Amino acid sequence: MLNTASLSLDQAPPISIPFRFFLLAPLFGMVAGLLLLYWGEAALTSRWAPPTLALTHLLTLGLLGMVMCGAMLQMLPVIAGSPVPRVVLVGTLSHLLLVGGILALVAAFLIRADGLMELAILSLGSGFLVFISGVVAALLRVHAPSATITGMRLAIAALLLTVCFGMLVAGAWGGLLNLGSLSSLIDIHLSWGLLGWTGLLLMSVSFQVVPLFQVTPDYPGWFSRTLPRGVFLGILLWMALRYGTDHLGWPALLEALWVAVLGLMFAAYGGMTLYLQQRRKRRITDVTLWFWRLAMLSLFAGLLAWAGGLLFPAFAASPGYPLLLGTILLLGVAVPAVNGMLYKIVPFLCWFHLQNRQLALMCMTVPVPHMKAFISDRATKRQFHVSLLALLLALPAALWPALLARPAGLAFALSNLLLLVNLLQAVIRYRQTSQSLDRAGAETNSH
Amino acid sequence: MEQRLDVSELEPCEPLQRTLAALQTLSKGDYLRVIHRREPHLLYPLLEKSGFLWRTRAGGEAGVEILIWPQHDQTAERQALEYLGC
Repeated sequence: MLNTASLSLDQAPPISIPFRFFLLAPLFGMVAGLLLLYWGEAALTSRWAPPTLALTHLLTLGLLGMVMCGAMLQMLPVIAGSPVPRVVLVGTLSHLLLVGGILALVAAFLIRADGLMELAILSLGSGFLVFISGVVAALLRVHAPSATITGMRLAIAALLLTVCFGMLVAGAWGGLLNLGSLSSLIDIHLSWGLLGWTGLLLMSVSFQVVPLFQVTPDYPGWFSRTLPRGVFLGILLWMALRYGTDHLGWPALLEALWVAVLGLMFAAYGGMTLYLQQRRKRRITDVTLWFWRLAMLSLFAGLLAWAGGLLFPAFAASPGYPLLLGTILLLGVAVPAVNGMLYKIVPFLCWFHLQNRQLALMCMTVPVPHMKAFISDRATKRQFHVSLLALLLALPAALWPALLARPAGLAFALSNLLLLVNLLQAVIRYRQTSQSLDRAGAETNSH
Repeated sequence: MEQRLDVSELEPCEPLQRTLAALQTLSKGDYLRVIHRREPHLLYPLLEKSGFLWRTRAGGEAGVEILIWPQHDQTAERQALEYLGC
């Protein structure tokens, strides 16, 4: 007999906690798009340009970070049976500090006024400290961790490293520290952020949500247990090899070969996900599947571009190369995966909280809408097409920014506006039904 | 009598929704046998709230079987436990 212990619904955070993270994410995406529209070519001339740094952090911290943090606070009680302690306090405080920190950081890149970078470091540092402490407390309480929990633990370790190196770089950028050349530190920061925190979290969450929501077979046990550990150790070893190549005269070929192995691990993840989606039991194609397939195909495109950079150093040395790679990995892989996931998580949370409320009030006269009724298929498909257009414009814009940066920015802002409208549509439907339930419950009690 | 419900190929929230709907149609003495591909942790608090008891076991046609009956229906409970060999 399986463990039939019920999840306590009191363990799950109130719906307002994940929603405050989810609803701000597309706003940050819109600001990123509008900045690209405003700055145009100047935002895509070099990875070191202040508008580029502002744009990148609006995407990574604002759009992606908000969804990833909100989803973790929501998912831990459900998939691990281990809620984040004092989740309302942790959620509220980390949300406020992170939002304030993102705005200060973006302003520090663009305006460079005194005190902004210090404010950003303080606010983001304390926001992540609150968030990581809460999540670590929940993750450490799990006695028999699944592959997803192990992956999340490694992703959180990667986030901690990303934040620490990010604060060092920000301190040096703001003139608070003197660390000499920053390029190695920045590479470490972005490798842990992109491959570690984002890559590992995407991987470990998909071990749960792909079979669950897309009705595919499970990822093989050996695969889901081994891969996140392999990726984490792979990044660590890469950092060591990078240090050896730069400072100890180790052959660069060694590092290049290891980077190829790391790339193969991500290719295995993408290949396995596409294979499982191909074998899904219920062959109904929905827009989440489109987003996921786009993310996995972009992962392969990113790996090809990465390999191209290793094989052709002149290509890798061009200013457009890191921008192209970043565009593929952020706008092609991470953003579509997160976007697609939102279309499953948000309606599901709305439905589940309403269903729970209906049963608590024993009020069967007010029907709870079906999950698909919260956001219409037409609206999600329209947003997918606009987000695809934004990606198709942003990829060549990395190489020909004068021509395409502004159209790409406009399309990306529009895609995030549509995402916001779609999410608000779900929230409005949720509130209407919740209010109807409350009214009907009050009437029942008064009789 | 047993009522059988196969939700193994449905995506969330349909398994939960169809299970709760099927429970509303149970006659006295009936239990519901739900065939699922994974353990539905989120179903249990909803069952508790609506006054049902349940047992879950690994195996069956899709990986997991959940047997559900109304809290005070002893006939249904006996039949469900008989099915489980308890």
